[in-house]
Amino acid sequence: MLQAENFLFTAAMLCYFGAMIAYFVFVAVKNDKISTLAVAIQCAGFVLHTAALVCRGIGAGRLPLTNQYEFATSFAWGLCLVSLIFIFRFRFRILGAFAAPVIFLIIGYAAMQSKDVKELMPALQSGWLGFHVSTAIIAYGAFGVSFVISIIFLLRDKMRAQGFLDSHIPDREKLDMISYRSCALGILFLTFTIVTGAIWAERAWGSYWSWDPKETWSLVTWITYAIYLHLRIRRGWQGRSAAIFAVAGFICVMFTYVGVNTLLPGLHSYK
Amino acid sequence: MKKVWKFLSSMKFAIILLIVLAAACSLGSFIQQGKSYEYYASEYGEQVGALIIALSLNDAFHSWWFILINGFLCFNLTFCNLIRLPELIERTKSAAEIPDFSTVSGETDNPEGAMKRLGMPSPRKLDDGRLISSKNRAGLWGAWVCHLGILLIIIGFGLGQSVKQEFTAYGVAGQTRALGDTGLNLTIDDFQVLLREDDTVEQYVADITVCNPENGECRSATISVNNPADLFGMRFYQNSTGWAARVNITKDGEPLQSEVLCAGEYIPIADKPELIVSLTAFYPDYTSSGGRPATASGNLNNPAYLYQVYYMGEILGMNILYGDEPLTIDEYEVRFTEPQSYTLIAVKRDPFTPLALLGGLVVTLGLFLAFYLQPKRVWAVKNGESWTLFGECRKGGVLFTDAFLRAINQGDKNDAAS
Ligand code: HEM
Repeated sequence: MLQAENFLFTAAMLCYFGAMIAYFVFVAVKNDKISTLAVAIQCAGFVLHTAALVCRGIGAGRLPLTNQYEFATSFAWGLCLVSLIFIFRFRFRILGAFAAPVIFLIIGYAAMQSKDVKELMPALQSGWLGFHVSTAIIAYGAFGVSFVISIIFLLRDKMRAQGFLDSHIPDREKLDMISYRSCALGILFLTFTIVTGAIWAERAWGSYWSWDPKETWSLVTWITYAIYLHLRIRRGWQGRSAAIFAVAGFICVMFTYVGVNTLLPGLHSYK
Repeated sequence: MKKVWKFLSSMKFAIILLIVLAAACSLGSFIQQGKSYEYYASEYGEQVGALIIALSLNDAFHSWWFILINGFLCFNLTFCNLIRLPELIERTKSAAEIPDFSTVSGETDNPEGAMKRLGMPSPRKLDDGRLISSKNRAGLWGAWVCHLGILLIIIGFGLGQSVKQEFTAYGVAGQTRALGDTGLNLTIDDFQVLLREDDTVEQYVADITVCNPENGECRSATISVNNPADLFGMRFYQNSTGWAARVNITKDGEPLQSEVLCAGEYIPIADKPELIVSLTAFYPDYTSSGGRPATASGNLNNPAYLYQVYYMGEILGMNILYGDEPLTIDEYEVRFTEPQSYTLIAVKRDPFTPLALLGGLVVTLGLFLAFYLQPKRVWAVKNGESWTLFGECRKGGVLFTDAFLRAINQGDKNDAAS
C-alpha cells in the first residue's frame, strides 16, 4: 500500500508540475485550448493525489493527517480541491496559473519530509484529531485561494496593459467578491478547526486554551480575517485594503503552519 | 459624552480593538512567558528586560491591559448588538414586503421561471398583482449571532480563568494522596503503560478511586490519555508519567524502612531525620551520553538510580547505583528495588467550560448564517405584456447581479428555442 502511495504521490507531483507549465504556456501564448489542457492535467493530478492519500490512510490504518509530511501533502490536496472548485464555479481558469505553483511548492515541501509511518502517541489518538486537521486543510486551502486572488487583485492594474489577460481576469468588483467567498469558506473552517482543537485539547490536556504559540497564532490569523471582513463592509475600504488584509491573513496562516515550529524554537510545540 | 458612547460601540472601534488584540497576542507569543527579570535581562538587555516586567509582558495573556482590551471588546460587542437588534427584527419581519430599492433589474416574460432558475422559492402574489419571493431571511442574523458567540466565549473564558481549580496528584499503584484543599482522597488502584510490539507507548491507563473521608462516599473510574473521567464535579486526566522505585533502608542489617519514591522525591531516615536520601533520577536502560547519564530505551535492560544524600541540609554525596547495588552510610544501608512507572493525574474544575463551548458553537453557526445564507428578495412588476424583475441581495454583489441577469437571459434563450 505504501509503495503504491509513493508511486501515486510522485505521479501527482509530476501532474501538478505539468499543469503549472501548461498554465504558464497558456498565459504566454494566449491560447484557450491550452488552458483546457492545464485544467485537465490539474484534475488528473488531483485524482492521483486523492488515491495516494487513500492508500496512505489504508496503509497506516488511520487518517493520514498526523505528521509534517502527511499534513503538507494534505494541505496541497486541499488547496488543489478549493482552487478547482473556484476555477469551475467562477469560470476562472487563470486562477490555476497562480494556484498551481503554490500547490507544487507545498507538495514539494511534503516530498522533502520523512514519509515514515509512525504509530501515534496516546495524545494524538482521538477522533477529534481527524476533524481538527481535516477542517484545517480546507481552511488553509481556501485561504490559499483567497491569497492568490488577492494577489491577482493587487497586480491587476499592472497587468491591464495586456488585452488578453483582461478578458480572462474578472473585473475588480468580481475579484473582490470571489476572494470574499474563499475567505468566508476559510474563516468558517478555521473556526471549526479552532473549536475542535479546543475540544480535543480539553480532553487530552485538561485545558481547552493555554496560549500555546500555535493556538495563539491561529487566533491571530482568525482575528486578521475578522478585520478583513469588517474592512470590506466599511464603505471606501473595500478592494485594495481588504485585499492587503487577505494577503496578511495568509502570511499569518503560513506562519502558524511553519513559522511557529521553526522560528519560535524556544517555546514548546505540542505537535 | 454621546459621541464617546457612539465611538465605543462603533465598528471603527471594533476594528481598532481587533488590530490591537492581534498585536498583543503576537507579542505574547514572541516573548517567552512566565520567566523572571533575570531571564529577560540576559536575553534582551537590562532596559528592555525592565520594560517587559513593568508592562507585564512576561504574563501578557493575564495582564491588566490584555483584560482591558477584552473588556472593551465585550462592551463594544454588547452595545453594537443591542443597537442593531431592533432594526434586525424589523428587517426580518419585512421578509414578504417589497423593498424600496433594488440592486439589479431586468425585463422578462416569465418571472416565475426566472425566479426558479435563481433558486428562489415560488413567489407570493400581492393584492396589486406583484409577485415576491424571499429567501434566507435567517442570514440577516449571521453577524449578530457570531458576535453573541464571541461574547459568550470571552465571558466563559474569563470567568473560567477566575474560578477554575487545578490540582495534580502523582503516585504508583496502591498509593493514596490528598487532593489539594478539596478534602477528597485519590487512590491509584492500578497504573499500566501499554506498549505496542515495537515498544512505543500505546496508552497510559490508570484505575482510580476518589473518596470523601467525611461520609465514606467513594467513586471509581478508569482514565487514559484522551479519556478523562468526571468524579465529584471534577474532571480527572491521565496527564503524564515518570519512574518510581522502592527504597529499602536497613540499620545494622535490620529492616528499618521501605517506601516507594517517585523520581525527584526524598526520604528522611526514620531514626535520624537530619539524614536525607533522594531518588534524583532513574534510568531504565542506562548509558552515558557525552559524559551525562541517559537512557537508551524505555525498557528495564540496565536500571540505574541517581541518588543524593543530604546531612543537615548540606549535600554529602551523589552517585549512581546499578541494579540493586547497595549504598552504605555509616550503619545504614540503602537499596533501590522494584522500578515501576508512576502516574501524574491532573484534576480540574472549570464550571464555565460549557459556556465557552456554547460560544464556539454559536460563533460557528453565526458565520454559517452570515456566509452561506445570503438574504435575497426577487420581485416582479407587470409592465404591459412583459414583467420587470427586480432583485435585492446586498451580500451577493456582482455575483448575484450576474446570476440574476443570466437567469433572465437563459429564459429568453429557452423561449427562443421552443
Ligand atoms: C468588538 C467586536 C466587533 C464588533 C463591534 C463588530 C461589529 C460588526 C458590524 C457592525 C457588522 C456589520 C454587520 C452587517 O452589516 O450585516 C459586523 C459584521 C460582521 N462581523 Fe463583526 N464585529 C466585531 C467583532 C467581530 C469578530 C471578532 C468577528 C469574527 C470573525 C466578527 C464577524 C463578523 C461577521 C462574519 C460579519 C458579517 C460580515 C459579512 O457577512 O460580510 N465580528 N460586525
